[in-house]
Amino acid sequence: MTILFGTLGWRPQSLLPSIRSTENLERVVFYHSDHAKSRDARSKVMDFCRSLGVTATAVEVSDAYDLLHVAGQIRGDIRKERAAGADLRFNIAGGTRLMSSAALLVCILEGIPATYVHDETYQEIPLPLLRISYGEGLTPKQREVLSFLVRNRDKDFTETALAKALDVHKATMNHHVRELESKGAVARLSDPHDARRLIVKVAPGMDLLIG
Amino acid sequence: MGFDERHVLPSLRLMPYDRLILVAGRDTFRSAGFRRLKALEPELRTVRVDPFDLTDALESIREAVRRAAAEGPVRISASGGTKILTNAAILAAFQEGVETWYCDPEPVRLPVLCGVRIGAAFSAAERAIARALHSPIRHDRLLAVIRDQGFARRTVLGAVHSLAAKGLIELEGEAGGVLVRPSPRFALFRDHLREVPKKA
Repeated sequence: MTILFGTLGWRPQSLLPSIRSTENLERVVFYHSDHAKSRDARSKVMDFCRSLGVTATAVEVSDAYDLLHVAGQIRGDIRKERAAGADLRFNIAGGTRLMSSAALLVCILEGIPATYVHDETYQEIPLPLLRISYGEGLTPKQREVLSFLVRNRDKDFTETALAKALDVHKATMNHHVRELESKGAVARLSDPHDARRLIVKVAPGMDLLIG
Repeated sequence: MGFDERHVLPSLRLMPYDRLILVAGRDTFRSAGFRRLKALEPELRTVRVDPFDLTDALESIREAVRRAAAEGPVRISASGGTKILTNAAILAAFQEGVETWYCDPEPVRLPVLCGVRIGAAFSAAERAIARALHSPIRHDRLLAVIRDQGFARRTVLGAVHSLAAKGLIELEGEAGGVLVRPSPRFALFRDHLREVPKKA
């Protein structure tokens, strides 16, 4: 059974082709803004799903102008459904630019098959996404170091302190940190209180990579 | 960039750059917003795309990124233009491993791993399978073809399962064996599968 996720703007036509084309559709979950026209579109999508006998859940996104907030919300829902063993797909055609981009971001990070619907032909177009978690671009140890830094974002760690906290040799930690730095996931910054020390900091946005 | 420069200007203010490349549709290059931007940045280079065709925009941006990367570091600001153009820029950023920001209006950095291109997700055996796979083929026949290229049986079996898990091939049971067929998404990745990853 498949759960279809979608973003909805003012035009239900951007979502309906995916509802029609999804095989073994169990449920539709879609995100929309609190704009009156978006709520109208929501009603039409709900009616359409009802006519097909498919359960639909509409999620009104309270702050449709915060990319990371919206992406975080969608990702939480996706992970919940995936943990329950459902097949997932996502239509990112509707909604504001920000909502659609947030959905795309989640699909890339989680490896969810995604489509968009052409504005004029209403043809569904698959996006070139692999069914793999984007975080697999890091080694397990790199992910562990990054997760630790994300969890302890408010604290300052040198490489030596990190090595101690994660129980690895400091030369090994130096290797992991350099690899993460080359990928733009962390930065080594001078300690403002002691110029000899380099503090390892997570780059902005990496919280979403770790999840 | 769309019809005005409002989404581009915050990026220009917040991100230092040496070269500026603008990706937009034909109508943008006739707009007053573009003329104002050109006046601010006479060295501005342009890439024309169909801003309503995600596939065209994605390929054009990827190509522009590759050419620019040969000259120096690249950074993308993905928040201007149509929704499709923005999404194409985000996809291109993840596929090419380029630092990317979304300024609307506050800058948000997207979690792209710099230098990690999508081609890195495929092993040598997966690439060999992709080169050999043009139409449905029996599993044992495919195995023999790839093994002839010097890959171990276990490596090829792992690569077949990996490609299936990535959604690029489908395995189908038929009388007397298993059939391997390219999935509908396979064609979307043919370019990436052809690429030979650079040595570290």
